[in-house]
Amino acid sequence: MKRRVFLSGLAGVAGCGGSRTLRLNVCNWSDYVAEETIPNFEKEFGVEVRYGTFESSAELFAKVMSGNSGWDVVFPPAEDLQGLRALNLLAPVRHELLRNLDRLEPGFRRPPWDPELRWGIPYMHGSTGIAFQKHLAIRRWADLWRDPLQGRITLLDDPVEVLGACLKKLGFSINSADPVELRAAQAEALELKKRIRAFLNAEVRDQLVAGDVQAAQAWAITAQQAIAETDRVAFAHPEEGFPLFCDNAVILRESRRQALAHRFIDYLLRPDVAAAIVVATGTATANGAARGLLPAEVRDNPVLYPPEEIRRKGEWFEPQPPASRKLRDRLWTEIKAA
Amino acid sequence: MKRLRSLFLAPAWLVIALGFWIPMGIVAAYSVLTRGMYGGVELPITAESLARFADPLYLGILAKSFVLAGIATVLCAVLGFPLALFVARASSRKNLWLSLVILPFWTSFLIRTYAWVFLLRDTGLFNTMLIATGAISEPMPLLYNDGAVITGLVYGYLPFFVLPVYATLERQDPLLRDAAADLGASPWATLLRVTLPLAAPGIRAGALLVFVPSLGAYITSDLLGGSKTVLIGNLVQNQFTAGRDWPFGAAAGMVLMSVVAVLLVLLLRRDPESLL
Amino acid sequence: MTRWLAAYAAAAYAFLHLPLLVLAAFSVNSAKSAVWERFSWKWYAEAFADRQLMEASANSLAIAIAAAVLSTVIGTLAAYGMWKRRSPVMAGSLYLSLVTPEIVWGVALLAFFQGLFRFLDVRLGLHTVIAAHVAFSIAYVVVVVLARLRTFDPALEEAAMDLGATEWQAFWRVTLPGIAPGVIAGALLAFTVSMDDYVITSLVAGVDSETLPMAIYAAARRGVSPALNAISTVIVFGLGVLIVVSERLQRS
Repeated sequence: MKRRVFLSGLAGVAGCGGSRTLRLNVCNWSDYVAEETIPNFEKEFGVEVRYGTFESSAELFAKVMSGNSGWDVVFPPAEDLQGLRALNLLAPVRHELLRNLDRLEPGFRRPPWDPELRWGIPYMHGSTGIAFQKHLAIRRWADLWRDPLQGRITLLDDPVEVLGACLKKLGFSINSADPVELRAAQAEALELKKRIRAFLNAEVRDQLVAGDVQAAQAWAITAQQAIAETDRVAFAHPEEGFPLFCDNAVILRESRRQALAHRFIDYLLRPDVAAAIVVATGTATANGAARGLLPAEVRDNPVLYPPEEIRRKGEWFEPQPPASRKLRDRLWTEIKAA
Repeated sequence: MKRLRSLFLAPAWLVIALGFWIPMGIVAAYSVLTRGMYGGVELPITAESLARFADPLYLGILAKSFVLAGIATVLCAVLGFPLALFVARASSRKNLWLSLVILPFWTSFLIRTYAWVFLLRDTGLFNTMLIATGAISEPMPLLYNDGAVITGLVYGYLPFFVLPVYATLERQDPLLRDAAADLGASPWATLLRVTLPLAAPGIRAGALLVFVPSLGAYITSDLLGGSKTVLIGNLVQNQFTAGRDWPFGAAAGMVLMSVVAVLLVLLLRRDPESLL
Repeated sequence: MTRWLAAYAAAAYAFLHLPLLVLAAFSVNSAKSAVWERFSWKWYAEAFADRQLMEASANSLAIAIAAAVLSTVIGTLAAYGMWKRRSPVMAGSLYLSLVTPEIVWGVALLAFFQGLFRFLDVRLGLHTVIAAHVAFSIAYVVVVVLARLRTFDPALEEAAMDLGATEWQAFWRVTLPGIAPGVIAGALLAFTVSMDDYVITSLVAGVDSETLPMAIYAAARRGVSPALNAISTVIVFGLGVLIVVSERLQRS
C-alpha cells in the first residue's frame, strides 16, 4: 500500500509538466531580465513562461541545434546568427508584429550582421576590456604583460576573446584569419599564460571585489557588477581597440507559438520594461527609448555606454571561415595544454 | 533454473542495449564522419579525426589525464581504506558513521567544488588563518593548480572508494582476526596479512570507481584548476561545444575508451576473479 | 591500533565536512561576496522565493528517486543473475559503461533520442533524463551489490532450496536479506550519482526538466550566489535528519 502511494506520488511529480494555459519557452543569458519582467508578462497576456538560462554561446548552440529543443525565443550573440541561419533553425522576424521596433537605438537598426533585422532583434550589448584595482592605472592590453602583475591576473576562458586581445595588442583585427597573425597572437598568449592565475569568466567578479585578482580581462557587465560592490575596482576600454558584442532576440523555426513569441519580443522592446531590466541587472540595452528613461548616472555610465570617441575603437566579432576556425581551435588547445 | 536466470538479467539487457550500445554505436559512427560546416556531422567517411591522435599535443593531454587520475586514486585509497575500516569496526552507530561518509555527497558536485574555492583562494579560510597566526605574510597560491584539481577529485570521489570497501570489510568474520591474534600476529600484521587481502575485491572495485570518473572529469579542472590545463575530458567537451568538431570529439572519446578498455582487459587477465 | 584508526578517521571526517561547514557559514552571511559581514537569513528567503531554483530542486529529487529505485531493482537482479552464473558480455558492457566519458555518453544519448523522436511524437523531458540516469546508474549498483554477493555463502541458498524453497523464494527470503547492506549502499550510490550529474543531464534535459546541478552551474558560472549555498545547506541538513531518523528506526 505504502509503495503504491509512493509510486503514484512520483508519477504525479513527473507528470506535473502538462498544463492547459498557453506557454512560451524562453532561454536567455543569466542576469538578463529583472525579477518582475516575466511575471508581469504572464499576468498581462494570461500565459505561462518557462524561463531558462545559459552561460555561453556554445551552450546555447548545443541546446537548440537539434531543431527539436522545445524553446521558442533565445538570445544568441550576433556572430552566431549566420551559423544558426545556415542550420535553418531561425524563423524570420515579422516586423509588422513589433510595434515597438522603432524604440531601438539608431545604431542597432541596421547592424552589420543583419542589416534588415530579418533574423534577430538586438537586445543587449557591451564590450570586452580590463577590470582592475584602481591604483594600477591600466589603459592598454599591453599593460597585462607588465611584471608586477605576475600571478595576479586572469583572462576570459574563451578562445575568441584571448586571441582577440592578443591580436589587438599586436595591432591586428580581432577577426583575423591570417595564419601568420594568429601564430604571432598565440606567442603573446603563451607568454601571458605564464603570468595568469586562471582563465575565468564571470566568476572573476567576486575575486576582483575581494582583491585576490589585480587585473582581469572581463566583460563590461561583469566589471560593472564588481564596481557596484566596491569603488576600488575600475574598468578600461583598452586603447589598442577592443571587441564589441551584441546579443539578439531570435525566434526558432521549430516554435509553434510564433505570434506569442513576437508579442514577447515586442514586450521586451517597451521602453519602461527595458529600462527596468537595465536598472535591475546593470546591463547595456540596445533600446534607445529605454536609455532615455534611465537615471543620468546609469544612462551615461562610461563602462556600459562608452563615449563615441572610445566606442569607435571597438570592433564586432564576425563569424570565422572553417579553415580559420580549425586553426584557432588548434592554437587554443596548444595554449591551454602548455 | 536457466530460464529464471535469464529473466534476472533481462531488464538490464534492455537498458544497456538501448541506453548504451546503440547510442555508443552512433558516436563510433560519428568518429569516422566529416565535420559539418556549423557543427554536426556529414559524409564522407574518413579516418582523419582518429589520425589526429598521433599528434604529440593530444598524446600529452592523454598522459597528463592519466597521471592526475592515478594520483587521485592512490590518495583516495590511502584516505578511504582506513575510513572504511573504521566504519566497519565501529562498535556502535555503524550506519551513522557510514551516513557521515555519504552525507557531503548529497550536495551538488558543483557546490562541493565551489566550497573548495572558498577554502583555497587568497582570501579564503586557509590563507586567512595562516596569515592571522603569523605563519605567512603573503597569501599562498593554493587555488588554480594541479594540487587543487587533485584535492577536488579526491573530495569528489572518495565515497565511491569507501562504499565498496566497506561492503567487503563488513562481511569479514571477526573470528578471523581473533584466530590471527591467537596465532601470535600483531594487530598490524593481521591488518596487512588478513584484512587487506580479503578486502581486495572491494579495493579494486573502489579504485576503478574513482579512477574512471577522475579520468573523464572536466568540471574540476575548470573550476579548481582555473581552466589552465586541458585534460582529455576538457578536450571532448570542448569539441562538442565550443569547437563544434563532433567527429574529433567522438574520436577523442573513442581513443580514451579504447585505452581504458585495454587496461581493463589486462587487469582481468591477471586476476580473472577480481571484477564482476 | 584502534586509537590510530579513530584519529585517522577523525581527520578524514574533517576533510569530508569542513568544506560544507564553510558553505553553511557563508549561507548566513549578509554580504553577497565571500567576505564575512554579519549574520542574516535573507539568502534562504531568496532561495525559497526563486521559482526556477525550486522547480529545479523538485525535478532533481523526482529524477534521483525514480532513477535510484529503477536502477537498484534492475541492477540488483542483474548482479544476482551474474553471481549465479557469470555473464562476461554483461560484465564487459557494464564496465565499459563505467569508463565512458560522460560527455561522450551524453551526446550519444542525445543523438539516440533525436533519432527516436523522428518516429515517436515525444520531446526531451523528465522521462529522457530518468532513462539516461537509469542507464548510467546500473553499473554502480551492480558493482556494489556484486562485491557484497561475493562475500555471501551460496550454501545458504542451496540449504533453503533443499528445505523446499523455490529459486525465487530462496532469492527473496535468504539472499536478498543477506546482501541488504550492499543493496542499500548501491541505492545510495545511484541516488548520489543521479543527484550529482550535470554533464549527461544537461544534454538530454528538455525545456521542463532543468535539474538542481544545471541551475547551480548556471549561477556558479556567474560567481557564487549565496542563495545556492542556502539551498544546498538545506538539502544536507534535511537529509542528515532523515538519515539519523532512519538509523533510529532500524535500531529500535
